[in-house]
Amino acid sequence: MYQYDTIDKAMLEDRAAEFRGQVARRLAGEITEDQFKPIRLMNGLYLQLHAYMLRVAIPYGTLNPTQLRKLAWIARTYDKGYGHFTTRTNLQFHWIKLADTPEILDQLASVDLHAIQTSGNCIRNVTSDPYAGATAEELDDPRVWAEAMRQWSTFHPEFSFLPRKFKIAITAAPKDRTAAKVHDIGLVLRRARDGALGFEVMVGGGLGRTPYVGPTIREFLPANRLFSYLEAILRVYNRHGRRDNAFKARIKILVAALGKEEFARQVEAEWAKIGDSTDLPDTELARIRGAFAPKSFETLPARSEAFETAKAADPAFARFVRNNVKPHKKPGYAIVDVSLKAIGDTPGDASAEQMEVVADLAERYGQGDVRVTHEQNLVLPHVKLDDLPVVHAALAAAGLATPNINLISDIIACPGLDYCALANARAIPIAQHIAEKFRDQERAERVGELKIKISGCINACGHHHVGHIGILGVDKKGEEFYQLTLGGSGAEDATVGQILGPALPYDRVADAVDTLVDVYLRERQGDERFLDTFRRTGTAPFKEAVYADVH
Amino acid sequence: MKALTANRLSDGEVVFWKGGQWVERFGDAEVFADDEAAIAAEAHGKNQPTVVVDAYLIDLVESEGLWAPVSFRERIRALGPTNLNHGKQEEGGAAIQALQHAHGAARSSGRVNLIKRK
Amino acid sequence: MPTYIRIEDGRARLAEDAFSHVADDIADLETGGVILSLARFEAEGDRLISEGRRVGVRLASDEQVEALAYDLPRISLVALDFPKFRDGRAYTNARLLRERLGFKGEVRAVGDVLREQAGFMLRVGFDAFEPADGSNAQEWDAALRRYRHVYQRAADGRAPAFAERER
Repeated sequence: MYQYDTIDKAMLEDRAAEFRGQVARRLAGEITEDQFKPIRLMNGLYLQLHAYMLRVAIPYGTLNPTQLRKLAWIARTYDKGYGHFTTRTNLQFHWIKLADTPEILDQLASVDLHAIQTSGNCIRNVTSDPYAGATAEELDDPRVWAEAMRQWSTFHPEFSFLPRKFKIAITAAPKDRTAAKVHDIGLVLRRARDGALGFEVMVGGGLGRTPYVGPTIREFLPANRLFSYLEAILRVYNRHGRRDNAFKARIKILVAALGKEEFARQVEAEWAKIGDSTDLPDTELARIRGAFAPKSFETLPARSEAFETAKAADPAFARFVRNNVKPHKKPGYAIVDVSLKAIGDTPGDASAEQMEVVADLAERYGQGDVRVTHEQNLVLPHVKLDDLPVVHAALAAAGLATPNINLISDIIACPGLDYCALANARAIPIAQHIAEKFRDQERAERVGELKIKISGCINACGHHHVGHIGILGVDKKGEEFYQLTLGGSGAEDATVGQILGPALPYDRVADAVDTLVDVYLRERQGDERFLDTFRRTGTAPFKEAVYADVH
Repeated sequence: MKALTANRLSDGEVVFWKGGQWVERFGDAEVFADDEAAIAAEAHGKNQPTVVVDAYLIDLVESEGLWAPVSFRERIRALGPTNLNHGKQEEGGAAIQALQHAHGAARSSGRVNLIKRK
Repeated sequence: MPTYIRIEDGRARLAEDAFSHVADDIADLETGGVILSLARFEAEGDRLISEGRRVGVRLASDEQVEALAYDLPRISLVALDFPKFRDGRAYTNARLLRERLGFKGEVRAVGDVLREQAGFMLRVGFDAFEPADGSNAQEWDAALRRYRHVYQRAADGRAPAFAERER
């Protein structure tokens, strides 16, 4: 993992000191709320329904045990003993006091964490593949580039007041676990025929009010030209993105308005003028790459007797392995998905105790590496097969071993109206109701991969547009209603879902999902996923079943 | 009927206006039958930028002899989230229970002069 | 004489302003340097400069510095407007003025100019500021020095972290 040096640490210390002064000036009345709001937002501090919310950045979703323990300590000391992992792989604390925030930032900085650019119209936390460095699928380690982008984007003097927020995702695997195609910029590492490394660059994807799958504007960008090209994209956007209407200010609107060819032409023209003056020197890339050098894996047999024995003896463990354990690039190792979707709990929430359990396991069995996924789970990317039974037992004891990764109860949900000042409707209880319906793991496994994503408003923090089943909370004459969309995907086959029909009331949503699943099981051919069946049949059979009993 | 609410600057706590003071319990909030008095109180509240953020009036509805916020959002603010027993509802008691079971035209955004904020 | 904040010898100092902003509808110009809108500069700039006036140009945030490319040698200063501090187009304008157009004269931040943005402004090439928040030169000086390091190359010539690391 990347280790912060004195320069990286000084940046965080200086930021924490600056914010301390800004909070003091606000509390003393020297600056107004209107002046303070953008300052606190640039530091991830929102005023929500019940308290302030602090969004802590977890760059490219990577944590070490010391950091995770510090987050647990902050949860216990300054919050109500838990935190909420987000679809941007960040961690939100929902019960923060403004007066405590300077101290919290100092505490975060002491373990190389911060809240920089977790809000505001700037370049947000770059997200990456949670299996980076562990999966055999990848062409290169995307974290190298994500860390380089973290540094480049931090306090970027030209691009900190963009028309709107700006999100970048990077992956190096054909299976996209970052939702790259629905980002402002999605970068996919590619290799040219001659072996040279580069990026496919997609621009103008996004969710929110107007969802788009981002078009590719460059098939192959030589890797060492990444930063000049990013500057060209950002500069075209900064100059020409709309500033008259916040709902039309994201880069996706500019790309759609110009057309991808014209947008690409403008970027290429600007890029030609920039030249290579802002590219990162190879020496710095090599330094960062060194920090992500492969771990010292032991040479192990591909087959672990301890693992096989446990699997045969313990059906619960076998089920966990089927759903939550993924192949590692090294024989004898595995990637372990830690579910934050225990049935009936709040998706993405982790208690301080759970954070500490994961930190301990990472330290003892996982090479000190923890990842956060955009689907609001955690990952221990490097666990020996031999150690899996004991890791599973420890996770299970902490309520972290729900064997439901990619299954119907592995639901993304934003905080919704229970916490968020922007929400129109609750998202969490809907997720809880649906998960309860599929508490039976046998049934959930029979249903197979099914991604449900719930947003409490059109801002789409819960990624509902790209859920196999998406659920959007709306305010209909003052009541909570929910619009269903089907057939969305945020993966490499990214698709925006189709609206099924009129929105349903709060207490009918879980039943409607149940009905959708029944239709799928009835219509399914072979080993089709829900998404595959939907793509074949279209909305008709689903619509008919859900709305049949309405009339 | 209206009440005046805001979030306290220093800690973000939901507070309600009561005769020139800010109180934490919705049950203690001053209920304004008179729009002019409510607007006057709101003006006072808005004039305390180092005490509270974003003071605004909310509409109330009568439910079994008690007043409750019309809006579902405001009920959540007055109680805490519905997924956990956190926030003001932790205190329990008759007033909290009454609010939890309040009937009436609950709406998810019944705030007067609704301004969504971040 | 009105004052503004200027960077001199690397420090933010209070300076007397030898220029006055001239609105488009004011016919009689005061003596001394004037700052004109782009439209007025295009109409009257030649004449004023030939009369020996020192002329600056004020660009709105939706105007691009490339419009001044050929006039820059004759212009004393460029004022870039922030209609709202959140409108970040002037950052690009300032950077291009310095890096691409090689402008060596004063680049002044005008409009909704807040000291919270001091560091960003300095880095893209601003060297003069008309604060809208009542902040003083000492506060600007402190704000400009807040960060001991920077991560990117920009127009201020500061060595980014990656260059510092190579030393």
